[in-house]
Amino acid sequence: MMKGRAVATPLLEAKALHKTFELGGETVRAVNGVSLTINRGEFVAIMGASGSGKSTFMNMIGCLDVPTSGQLILDGSDTGTLDNDALASIRNHKIGFVFQQFNLLNRTTAVDNVAVPLIYAGVGSVERRERAKAKLVELGLGERLDHTPAKLSGGQQQRVAIARALVTEPLMVLADEPTGALDTHTSEEIMAIFQRLNDQGITVVLVTHEPDIANHANRRIVFRDGQVIDDAPVKKTHGGGAG
Amino acid sequence: MNNISAVIASWAVNVSIAMVALRTNLMRSILTTLGVMIGVLSVVLAVAVGSGAQVSVMESINSLGSNMALIFPQPDSEGGRNTDTRGRLTQRDADALEKQLSGVTATAPQLRATIQLVAQGRNTSTSAIGITPGYGIVSNITAEQGRFITESDVQTGARIIILGPTVATRLFGDFDAVGQSVRVNRIPFTVAGVLESKGSSFGNDNDDVALIPISTLRQRLSQNSSLQGPDDLQVLFVGFEEGVALPEAKKQMTEILRARYRVPTNEISPFTIRTTEEFMKESSKVTGIFQMVLVAIASISLLVGGIGIMNIMLVSVTERTREIGLRMALGARRRDIRNQFLVEAAVLCMIGGAMGLTLALILAALFQNLANFPAPIGIGTSIGAILFSAAIGLIFGGYPAVRASKLSPIEALRSE
Repeated sequence: MMKGRAVATPLLEAKALHKTFELGGETVRAVNGVSLTINRGEFVAIMGASGSGKSTFMNMIGCLDVPTSGQLILDGSDTGTLDNDALASIRNHKIGFVFQQFNLLNRTTAVDNVAVPLIYAGVGSVERRERAKAKLVELGLGERLDHTPAKLSGGQQQRVAIARALVTEPLMVLADEPTGALDTHTSEEIMAIFQRLNDQGITVVLVTHEPDIANHANRRIVFRDGQVIDDAPVKKTHGGGAG
Repeated sequence: MNNISAVIASWAVNVSIAMVALRTNLMRSILTTLGVMIGVLSVVLAVAVGSGAQVSVMESINSLGSNMALIFPQPDSEGGRNTDTRGRLTQRDADALEKQLSGVTATAPQLRATIQLVAQGRNTSTSAIGITPGYGIVSNITAEQGRFITESDVQTGARIIILGPTVATRLFGDFDAVGQSVRVNRIPFTVAGVLESKGSSFGNDNDDVALIPISTLRQRLSQNSSLQGPDDLQVLFVGFEEGVALPEAKKQMTEILRARYRVPTNEISPFTIRTTEEFMKESSKVTGIFQMVLVAIASISLLVGGIGIMNIMLVSVTERTREIGLRMALGARRRDIRNQFLVEAAVLCMIGGAMGLTLALILAALFQNLANFPAPIGIGTSIGAILFSAAIGLIFGGYPAVRASKLSPIEALRSE
């Protein structure tokens, strides 16, 4: 079972978060007053139909998008007060992104793909390669270091992407439908990886619309119409995943 | 120290990213590069041809003799003043100038005539200059074969002639001309020497000439009716030592001549005096303008090349919006993205610049060897061309790069 944490320390606090868009003269309230806290070491699944605001919320906590109003405190700093460079630095050092479509650079080898975040962290080329290699080996891709994405299966590509998300040793991994482009068996493999990461103490937040995938998490937050309608621990009924 | 190496490393990363991107669209990269290549090629060639013109003008002025003044017995026509009044210039003036001026190396009084030469059944015509030995000193010319004209040739009115290399070849082919007899306007002369070659300037063959003692030319070959006395001259060269200030000397010569002919100061001087220094200045001004015009015209093609760069960089930014978004998500700051595209544009331009420079070097060498026209491309021009093309990349790549860096991460990531 999960290792218990004695004291819950908040990693992320959202306070009355709003995000509105102007679309064809109409105001769309994508996120409409969300307040919640995610603690260090949590494994959170965010669910909801498309258009529920879950992705917009995810983009804001990933510092890819800025809230229209409200406050977002990440690892103790109020992101509303930070400039573009500081936000880029947070994305680089504290957050690792995993995308549904993997988003790997096509003409670039697995190692070089994984090393990209280290470029922006100012790490030297030799160390970049070493660290990227180590992460790939950790994820079982030691034999595929110099393969380009085209020569890798979907599951392997997503593992490269996870290695890339982890290479800067972030506090939190944000995964947006990470299994959306994978078959069931491969999805289970990927989820097992997230499970392992969480066991190592990394906070994992994943967006999904599949209940099976959400069951791997410890906490499920459900969005509808830009608001949280359900936020509860996941009942582990049939011991899914590696837990 | 650490900081500098980090900066270098980050640029090296950008260069390798750029190389991948350029290889990805190889054909497009090549075509874009071509535009810059042609631009750099034409600018470098324009500079080369311009300085080539400068060099050949200077050479031809130097071939006149380095530090000298030319005096003609006509009023200065510069500025469109009327030239009805004709002055006189005589051997006595030449002697007076030589005596009264300081720093004179020699004077070279001259008469000119067009002559017909016949030797061994071949005939040709050339322009003859009637001279004294001073001409050799002032014009810095000697005989390569045989001898030059001497004082006694002038005193005796000897029927000898010194041929320019071109005339000698026309009359005698590869045979030695010295000592041969030649008929000059039907009068028998002896070839005493052949001049060293002075090359050509502006398509003018400086070797198509013959030198005759001034006294001989005056007595036997003169066709000039404007001469009013037995020692009248058409042209007088005055050579000066190195370091003599020619503008000052020119002023003195004008005063001496005005005094000798009693020309009131309110009247136009009936003499024209030109110095080599003036020729140098005037012609370097002209060749400078010539070069500027050439470069300006050539720059238009470089401008077009630059616009091509900007166009292709805008396309590239649009195509790679998703990549930009991804890099931002992974921690790229705005300036990282801007620099990435700036480096890509600069690399593209520098490759084009290097190709253009190489081609220019080849064409300039061909020019020099085939057309015998100097087109020097110096190290400075070469380095300048490469740096300039990098600058073109930064200028025309600047807008697309800044545009890329201003993208919002999430919108860039969402784009297809």
